[in-house]
Amino acid sequence: MRGYLAYVGRRFGQFLLVVFIGINIAYVVTHASPIDPVEQSISAVTSYGNTAPGAIEQMRNSLRELYGLSGTPVEQYLLFWKRILRADFGPSMSAFPTPVGTLIGRALPWTAGLLAVSTIVAWGLGNLLGGLAGYYRQSRGLKLMGVIAMGLHPIPYYILAMLLLIVFGFLWPVLPISGGSAMNLPQTLTPEFVLSVLQHAILPALSLILIGIGSWFLGMRSLVSNVLAEDFVVYAELAGVRSWRVLTSYVMRNALVPQVTGLAMSLGGIFNGAVITEKVFGYPGLGSLLVDAVYAGDYGLVLGVTTISILGVSIGVLAIDLLYPLLDPRVRVS
Amino acid sequence: MIVLLRDLLRDSPEFRIGAVLVVFVLLLSVLASFSPYPPESVYVVPPDVPPSLTYWFGTTSRGQDVFWQLSFAIRNTLLFGCTVALISRLFALVIGLISGYKGGWIDRALMSVNDTFIVIPLLPILVLFYFMMRDRISWLMLALIMACFGWAYDARLIRSVVMSLKAREFTQTSLFSGMSTRQILTEEHLPYVMPIVFSTTMNNMVWSIGLEVTLAVLGFTDINTPTVGGMIYWANQHTAMVAGVWWWIVFPTITVIMVFIGLFLLAVSANAYIDPRSRLWSMEGAS
Amino acid sequence: MHANAQSAPAPQGAQPILRVRDLQAHYRTSHFGVRRGVKAVDGVSFAVNRGEIYGLAGESSSGKTTLIKSIAGAIRPPLEIVGGSVEFAFLPGYGGLHRAPPVDVARIRWRHLSYIMQGSMNVLNPVRRVRSVFVDFAYPHIGGSRKQFEQQVIAHLARVRLDPSVLAAFPHELSGGMRQRTTLALATICRPDFIIADEPTTALDVVVQKEVLGMIRGIQRETGSSVLFVTHDMGVHAHVTDRLAIMYAGRLVEEAATAEIFRNPLHPYTRHLISSRPRIGDDTPREGLGGSPPNLADPPPGCRFHPRCPLATEICKREVPAMLEADTGHRVACFAVNQGSRP
Repeated sequence: MRGYLAYVGRRFGQFLLVVFIGINIAYVVTHASPIDPVEQSISAVTSYGNTAPGAIEQMRNSLRELYGLSGTPVEQYLLFWKRILRADFGPSMSAFPTPVGTLIGRALPWTAGLLAVSTIVAWGLGNLLGGLAGYYRQSRGLKLMGVIAMGLHPIPYYILAMLLLIVFGFLWPVLPISGGSAMNLPQTLTPEFVLSVLQHAILPALSLILIGIGSWFLGMRSLVSNVLAEDFVVYAELAGVRSWRVLTSYVMRNALVPQVTGLAMSLGGIFNGAVITEKVFGYPGLGSLLVDAVYAGDYGLVLGVTTISILGVSIGVLAIDLLYPLLDPRVRVS
Repeated sequence: MIVLLRDLLRDSPEFRIGAVLVVFVLLLSVLASFSPYPPESVYVVPPDVPPSLTYWFGTTSRGQDVFWQLSFAIRNTLLFGCTVALISRLFALVIGLISGYKGGWIDRALMSVNDTFIVIPLLPILVLFYFMMRDRISWLMLALIMACFGWAYDARLIRSVVMSLKAREFTQTSLFSGMSTRQILTEEHLPYVMPIVFSTTMNNMVWSIGLEVTLAVLGFTDINTPTVGGMIYWANQHTAMVAGVWWWIVFPTITVIMVFIGLFLLAVSANAYIDPRSRLWSMEGAS
Repeated sequence: MHANAQSAPAPQGAQPILRVRDLQAHYRTSHFGVRRGVKAVDGVSFAVNRGEIYGLAGESSSGKTTLIKSIAGAIRPPLEIVGGSVEFAFLPGYGGLHRAPPVDVARIRWRHLSYIMQGSMNVLNPVRRVRSVFVDFAYPHIGGSRKQFEQQVIAHLARVRLDPSVLAAFPHELSGGMRQRTTLALATICRPDFIIADEPTTALDVVVQKEVLGMIRGIQRETGSSVLFVTHDMGVHAHVTDRLAIMYAGRLVEEAATAEIFRNPLHPYTRHLISSRPRIGDDTPREGLGGSPPNLADPPPGCRFHPRCPLATEICKREVPAMLEADTGHRVACFAVNQGSRP
């Protein structure tokens, strides 16, 4: 138990460090830039027509206040943290006066749902197939799967999403290629709405899953071929333990342990993939919100989505880290 | 070196395919030097011409020859990948060598920072960076930023190699013979670490080019320097797929997929050659 | 199982429980174009009688681990059985586990043939509790209710002086000695006819080693199992084995009752092994053996020991000496010895 607590303490410390460094990077990027977001917002507004000089000066001051760019650097830095901890990013410029927090709150469930489902499916399926491929090395079907995985794994999310879009949007239009649900349905828990959500999720989820499966498949296959040479596997085989039991409880069970660490380490990359995939399929999550905010020049929204992304991914990593001892009893003691 | 290449070519189908793909793309990028048109100019050829004998890959709606445009784009994209890979290899080497050799609290501190950089979602930060820099963003600036983020995973790999080297006898011998830490690391350990550095270079290029393509198609890079992602961006701007100008998207996409698969296969086969554990694999395949 | 609780060799003429005939096992590898063949076991014949502990000694690269892998049917590429046969009394007619149908092999494993492996650290699945390992290994052979089975396991654990609480433990929670006693209990719970023990005590410290050896001997007497006991440690052989074979570079060079080998070693290599054992109070300098064990990928022709042998003559470089009986029950493969003892 003490070992477990020490482990939890270490992982929590790492979590705090990730958040700290991530938020500081965001601060440096926004505050060391040669471009002043206030002036940029003003020029965006004034370009539509003439505005009185006094009004511009007033707007400049209130924007400075709003963006947290007034006061000394120390004050600005502290204010930056205060806002993030309270999840208060002010009103959105592009969807005025809706607060940035509300926009993020609306988008977050879509991204979280898409990410959770596709990551779990890809991880589970990739490990299962990769484990089988490492164990039954002569199987032609699994060898072919290995070749496909090698071809899919290095392709970036955007390219694969675009290929799926071309196939299912132009060549064989059977699936919805844009949005989170059908436009004409109210967002309530009716069977039609749920069905529509599932249909719309197929293509974005599929592109995340196809690439994910490839990397878990290849990783698990090589892990299994290493575990196979371990004494305890040879011993179990010599004892005549049934091969299905050897494969599941001895080989795959042990190979799975580093794959959990791998999942925690690649969560950031998977999130990157979700951002771009959402944009390709117009999925109403954080990714689309972020890209559209850039096009609209909405400073508060871009910053808000970025910091929430850092926070969200770190929490996801922490959750996986805390589940890890369930799989590896050795952590619980030492 | 030549023997190594011969062995790899003969015994690793992954290496053969990877080498063919990469050589093909490299040839295409070399051709950029012979282009009849400068890369930035538009409306130099009739727009929207499908692939023909005159225009092999067709022309764009902006009046550019897709073939020559693509050869510029792929050259810039590869150069970008190489730049990021080179700079981030330096970071990875320094951090990995020091962390693995020194151990103790230095190792723990460096690896905490290292794991942080592995975990942080990079794309939102790069988007934020573009948002703050706008048109001032340049090719080199982006490469530098990505290099600052792209070393962490490989530093961990290098660290683990150095840790196993440190336990071996020759390190102790060099230590007792009075070599300094820097000498031991650069003269004794570096030769063993270099093969890993080579194989991670390929993987790092896959990663950085992938991110560059992603940013470019969103228009979040310097869109006036032709890159593969930039070509797809312009094609999207002109709704090429809907307009039926499919060659504008299809040829860059095929080329960049060749780059990804080619580099990845080279990395895989290099890894198989380095890693003694996977040798067992090839034994089993042989019998 | 066998009421026969004698430790002495079974009477001559009785059916042996294991008979190995001219066994040849090679490794064939190919890594990026470099092909290698290693003749790790090259024409080995011997028999193990019911109820005896048969020792196998040799240096670490002598091929003894390959030999027991071949006997136990743990044959994975690049290892290949090239020739010869392995016949267990409980699996007759196939000439080796590698040739028998998998169903029959699965039936005899652990029930009739069990295994104690080298190195106690890694033979137990690190993420599985000891109880589940017992269930995986032994329950299919013992059957009955789970509760009965557990009672039987606990009773058996008491024989190796282990507390029932180890059942709930993970391997890393046990000490090295406890782990080795756990594997010993695991290997003997089905009261198998034949146990292969590969360096079972090598990794343990001397006190624990002695304790474990005593337990192996005790359980073997009680169940009447036969044991093929492999170790490089001649002291351990002197302590537990009934008969002893010496292996050098993939071949047997001498075989006799253990006491006979220590009293009257005939092969020059055996003499070297015995004389190089440290003894308390004996401080005469030991004669080292020149040279090093041969590379099995390219072994010397003729007798493989000849480059290091003080008695080597011309014939040793050309021809392979056969294992001939120099005395009753004492076989040796050496031209010098066989000429001397047989007119």
